[in-house]
Amino acid sequence: MENNIKEKGLDVLAGKIDNKLLTNLNSCVRCGLCAESCMFFKALNEPKYIPARKVALVSSVYRRYFTLSGKIAPALVNAKELDDHTAEEMVDLLFGACTMCGRCVKHCSIGVDIPYVVRKGREMLAAMDMVPATLQATVDFALTTGNNMGIPEEEFTGTISWMEEELIDEMGDEKARIPLNEMHKEIFYTLNPREPKFFPLSISAMAKIFYAANENWTLSSKFYDITNYGFFNGNKAQAGQIAGNLYDEIHRLRGKKMVLGECGHGSRANRWEGPNYLGKEYDFEMITAVELISGYIKQGRIKLDKSLNKELVTIHDPCNLVRNGGLLEEIRHIVSSSCASFTEMDPHGNENFCCGGGGGFLAMSEYNDRRIKIGEIKAEQIKKTGAKIVVTPCHNCVDQLSQLNHTYKLGVKIKTIAELVADALVIRKNN
Amino acid sequence: MKWHIIIALAALAISVAMLLIQLIKLISAGKPKDLSKGSGNISAGVAYSYTKAMSPMEKESAYLHLPTYAAGMIYHAGIFASLLLFLFFISSLFEIPKGIGVIAGAILVISGLCGLAILLKRFINAGLRSLSGADDYISNFLTTLAIFATAAFLLSEQAEVPYYLIVSALLLWIPVGKTRHLLYFFFARYHLGYFFGKRGTWPPKSLK
Repeated sequence: MENNIKEKGLDVLAGKIDNKLLTNLNSCVRCGLCAESCMFFKALNEPKYIPARKVALVSSVYRRYFTLSGKIAPALVNAKELDDHTAEEMVDLLFGACTMCGRCVKHCSIGVDIPYVVRKGREMLAAMDMVPATLQATVDFALTTGNNMGIPEEEFTGTISWMEEELIDEMGDEKARIPLNEMHKEIFYTLNPREPKFFPLSISAMAKIFYAANENWTLSSKFYDITNYGFFNGNKAQAGQIAGNLYDEIHRLRGKKMVLGECGHGSRANRWEGPNYLGKEYDFEMITAVELISGYIKQGRIKLDKSLNKELVTIHDPCNLVRNGGLLEEIRHIVSSSCASFTEMDPHGNENFCCGGGGGFLAMSEYNDRRIKIGEIKAEQIKKTGAKIVVTPCHNCVDQLSQLNHTYKLGVKIKTIAELVADALVIRKNN
Repeated sequence: MKWHIIIALAALAISVAMLLIQLIKLISAGKPKDLSKGSGNISAGVAYSYTKAMSPMEKESAYLHLPTYAAGMIYHAGIFASLLLFLFFISSLFEIPKGIGVIAGAILVISGLCGLAILLKRFINAGLRSLSGADDYISNFLTTLAIFATAAFLLSEQAEVPYYLIVSALLLWIPVGKTRHLLYFFFARYHLGYFFGKRGTWPPKSLK
């Protein structure tokens, strides 16, 4: 490995290292008891997938270059050189064998924040220009076009216009709208680009809910993309630039509240990481679509008829919204208000297994086989529930679950929260 | 003062100094700046992290591995007891009555056997072996040896010299090897509680 490349990677650890990172680099005792909490280890059953191994990759490099004992006697203290072999192993395990779901964290005997270390490792690889090309391409699309699928603005406005016509027909009301670029609205709504590209019905479902709630809202035709694959590629500058798109757009449109569409990592990247990427506290309110809809139900702004969703429903908890976002109750409040019966997976909630589509995996086609294989755990969970509908407030999860549905022949329907709620909506005449 | 006690005192001073340096480095590094607006209760999350989240019923690392977990708990209790006894011995605070010494020694033997079992598991289990480096074996071996040495010293004064030398070696190793988690563990629990507390994940909400 060339020295200048190595230096770039090491600079990530040499810079302003805070005590959270310092703690997590020094805490793992390699007891290996985290193994069964990781779906990669459970599904693939190879020691290299034990979460502690992923921590060790980063911490051993840290020890080698930044501790006295590691410099003097590396072999004694498990300190490792950052060479080509280590870097390749880091790419394979930190990008290709961790969705950063955080399930291992809760179960770690010490409490090491393993995804935090994995992200630091990804930052090192990003600095060394070793991000998988497929993942980087997704980030580049977002940087150059404003959305990660590179959807041209005309195509997007065409789709929205078409969905608006459908909405008018369905509601029987010429005033039913999917507003674009309107100023001074109560809500600035964001989307996962998969919605206009592949799942436009989820946009109309949300529009139907807004219509029923008589909400004052808008979309932007240019910067609507909630996703931020900069959260995954380890490049904070690029993550900041992407987060800045939505930040600037809500200010341009003078919106009051940003509502994060149904996207787990996008919600996390904007709500929890966005202010840190941009280095400022946000001066507007930001909530997820899950919290918004739950609020509508509690406030009586929308009326639901559970009997309209007769089939048994189960919930897939997106890791970034539930374990890493605290929305356990809100999701259940909505689902239990929208369907005749629902059943839980085992385990569920904060204990839930990732679907396998997190961590940027959906963008990294080189790991497709691995992604489908680890998804077997989720497929088995779904099978055991006997549910006919799997509902999840995350479009990346929807995509992965749809592939699992096909591969493992689950015979279920995959829906977003908005789609489930829209199917149960009772539209009042005064709308 | 006996030469081996001087060595032990020096080892203790070096160990404490090295751990203090690490503690100062940790504190002066500062917390990462988090500008996001929280939706939970950080204090409650941190309190939960140090208490109920540590319960064996809350962690797969415990309830899926009960024998290892139990051995680990007994092992750690033995380590703390041994370090405490070392402070008593070296400060000559009080004499341990013979009867109590025998009982404590026997309990420490059990603790040492647990440490030995954990060490053997590391040798035997392929997955664990693949994770391990010299530090893992040294840390486990030295700590186990120190527990056995403490037991031996409690049972027989003839073990005095090797006891002080073994404990000295452990003290010098603590801040260097993974044994330093005795310091970092508490910070790890804090950061975890902060993270999950701020986001409203901890303390967990009960589902009706």
